[in-house]
Amino acid sequence: MSESFRQAIGRKVVSRASANELGSVRQLLVDAQQRRIAAVVIGRGKKAQLVEWEQLSGFGPDAVMVVDEGALRPPADDRERNGVDGNLDLLGKRALSERGNELGKIDDVTFDTDTGALEDLVIGDRRVPAGALLGSGSYAAVLDKSQEV
Amino acid sequence: MKLLMTASQIRGLPVVTVREGEDVAEVRDVIYDPEAGRLVGLSLNQRGFLAGRRREVLPAESIHAIGQDALMVLDESSLVAPADAPDDVAHPATERNVVGDDVLTEGGTSLGKVTDLVLLVGSTGDVVGYQVDKAGGGQGYIPLPAQLAISGVALVVPNITEDFVEDDLVGLGAAVDEFRARLGLS
Repeated sequence: MSESFRQAIGRKVVSRASANELGSVRQLLVDAQQRRIAAVVIGRGKKAQLVEWEQLSGFGPDAVMVVDEGALRPPADDRERNGVDGNLDLLGKRALSERGNELGKIDDVTFDTDTGALEDLVIGDRRVPAGALLGSGSYAAVLDKSQEV
Repeated sequence: MKLLMTASQIRGLPVVTVREGEDVAEVRDVIYDPEAGRLVGLSLNQRGFLAGRRREVLPAESIHAIGQDALMVLDESSLVAPADAPDDVAHPATERNVVGDDVLTEGGTSLGKVTDLVLLVGSTGDVVGYQVDKAGGGQGYIPLPAQLAISGVALVVPNITEDFVEDDLVGLGAAVDEFRARLGLS
């Protein structure tokens, strides 16, 4: 099923094993090279934790199910710390073409809830296929030059 | 799309990696070879307010693209220590700076003094013209032939250059091709 980041933010996160509610989706961290969701960030600040996509049993319309509470972990490296701090969030990120021209800001991102694969980037009134995404970091998401209008 | 930018517009651009989306530096200055009309590389500043110079340089071959909003490189390894850079990038010859030079036609008419370089940007970075303070007053843009004589105080351009003094970068963009065609360069 297709869903958007903005729809998914705030959805509760529940442990499949214990049925305990663990928090809510604060941010979706992406692997730009693979064009997929790498992890779900829960909570903020020092309490922020993440769950890798592989540790989800389902990304449902009412809850994001995690296999068990042990799947939650603190960020493990600089990139993940940067991520939970919100610096890598695709939402609101400046979109640059690989030619160095700004294309706008990323307003939303759609993805496949079965695989975590990114589908489209919504930039203003345009929808750009995620395949155009070349890389993304704290400064910008870089898109293929074919996306220049 | 053909995009012309002056060196002043390129200075200060963030240097952004295509693969990581990070701003790893910003452009300090343009290093170019005035005889060949070619961008040879860039010197760099660290990113951020008052951050100071970055030791590494960016050889022109490692530029992925120059745009209006950013200068793109594939990744941070495109930035190299001066020791690993071509000599003309690591040790730019400052006496070859043409800003302030008088532009003279072969016939001996002064077209003005050079105030800035104009580069054709995109995936390359050729110097295709100069911004000048016109001898008669006001600012103008002149196209450059690929080769020209430069002394350090003046540079000599073909007589027909006089017909191609433009008021703005858009005009220069249109003039460059026609100018070079007339000279038999392209």
